[in-house]
Amino acid sequence: MRGTDFTLNGVGHEYRAGATALAAIDLSIGCGQHVAIVGANGSGKSTLLKMLDGLVFPTAGEIVAFGAPLTEAALEDPVFRRDFRARVGFVFQEADVQLFCPDVLDELAFGPLQLGLPEDEVRRRVHEVAGHLRIEKLLDRAPYSLSGGEKKRVAMASVVTMQPHVLLLDEPTSALDPRSQVWLLDVLADWKREGRTVVMATHDLSAAAESADRIVVLSEDHTLVADGTPDEVLAQRELLLSVNLIHEHTHRHASTAHRHAHAHGPGADPDEAHGHQRERGRD
Amino acid sequence: MSAPLSRCQTDIAPAVNRRGGGRSLARKTADSVGHAVADVLQNEELAARPGLLQRLDPRVKLLTLLLFAVTASLVHAVWTLVALIGLTMILAAASLVGVASFARKVWLSAGLFALLVALPSALDVFTPGPAAVTLGPVSLTEPGLMGVATLVTRVVAAAGFALLVVWTMRWTDLLRALSSLRLPDVVVATLAMTQKQILTLLRTVEQIHLARESRTLTRGTTRENRAWVTERMAFVMRKSMKTADDVYDAMLARGFTGAMPSLVTLRMRPRDWVWAAASVALCATVIAADRVVGP
Repeated sequence: MRGTDFTLNGVGHEYRAGATALAAIDLSIGCGQHVAIVGANGSGKSTLLKMLDGLVFPTAGEIVAFGAPLTEAALEDPVFRRDFRARVGFVFQEADVQLFCPDVLDELAFGPLQLGLPEDEVRRRVHEVAGHLRIEKLLDRAPYSLSGGEKKRVAMASVVTMQPHVLLLDEPTSALDPRSQVWLLDVLADWKREGRTVVMATHDLSAAAESADRIVVLSEDHTLVADGTPDEVLAQRELLLSVNLIHEHTHRHASTAHRHAHAHGPGADPDEAHGHQRERGRD
Repeated sequence: MSAPLSRCQTDIAPAVNRRGGGRSLARKTADSVGHAVADVLQNEELAARPGLLQRLDPRVKLLTLLLFAVTASLVHAVWTLVALIGLTMILAAASLVGVASFARKVWLSAGLFALLVALPSALDVFTPGPAAVTLGPVSLTEPGLMGVATLVTRVVAAAGFALLVVWTMRWTDLLRALSSLRLPDVVVATLAMTQKQILTLLRTVEQIHLARESRTLTRGTTRENRAWVTERMAFVMRKSMKTADDVYDAMLARGFTGAMPSLVTLRMRPRDWVWAAASVALCATVIAADRVVGP
């Protein structure tokens, strides 16, 4: 059995105002797993990802990353910090936040240069990743002049050039057109083949079902309420209704009314996951 | 659910010139913000043209145009300053940025502002001398007007060189030039993020105003507009602070150590050396000539 990248024991987080972001999370993420964290808006998905990246720290419980405690004090150690940042990459939901360099070339080079890699190696990585993600023509452009889809690609490329073992993706399908969503799923499949660990926060059940081999569900009261394979989790219709990931929806076709679970999010197709009820003659 | 047929079938009253029309505050603000963003994007397009200044190394261009601006502040004769203004026009033409729009931008912003600020100093109350123009009980004196002309031409010449820097150099190249001229990394990083942040927030402000415009039936009172603008300013400020925190998190996530290294290395070519030498010689000549023809 392969090792464990992250272990969370009773992890909770409260904002300064006292509001709960996460409560009593027990979770283990194995090396090479593709895990989708799903939940309604405000359930704590993004906070959980930031915790896995050492940007936010638990107010209860502990996180162990690659066998060592992940704490604020540990990240102040330059050796640990460099090793951890080299292993874990985080693609933020809002690409604008992540693109802070003058142009795309420097954006892609930023991470590897921070890791102290030689310039030749950085240059090689930048051009390899730019070719793979089809953004070579954008290298001399300023990030603010890119379209939403281009920004998302550049944001992902800026992390991939660091060649992290773990990729944390926050709502990766948001703001992507259908073609870019397909492209993203292909990229995720490549990463799976390469043995990288991927943890993505999403409320796009379709993307989660397609790319993840495990789904973790967060409820609106910020607790972990389900953890299993996509088939196991998506079959729990009542659970998904209770955590506000799907809702019941009625519509008519001539004299026939359908009543079925309905999910939101790009490309969502809940019928495949949950089936639907047909109520003849219901008006 | 069926739509109310009576509404669907009723034609909308055609627009006529009624009182109270005109552009609302929201529309005017949204348009201004849109123009500001368009200006920035247009600068990128001008900087990409194959003109004289665009071909130069960013460091050489920055330093030599700064040298010309300093020269404009050292000379005193109006004719010398007019010659420098002529030089800005020639450089604008050679750099394919459009002489007419260049002159309009310089004269209508810097020139007009300098004139309005300096003109009162030409009154005989402040600068005694023979009257050139009499305005009732006061007059504009000849030495006063000469002083105004000197100031305005100096401001226009310096602003012209500064505008050439902005119009012929991509923002990214300007930052690289500043970085290679030993400006601290933290300053260059702050400048880079400030510009991006301003553009992002400008787009937010534009959308805020357009959203209001789409839901507003009347123009509202000045008091209402003022209150709304103040509240939105606070919102944009809060958003700006949150974005700044998020950007810092994104930098930390990619191993930020306090330095902003770049893959791009600037290299001087022969034409850069030629341009630098010619610029220094020209500035020295202008200063020497000014000593001869100056007051």
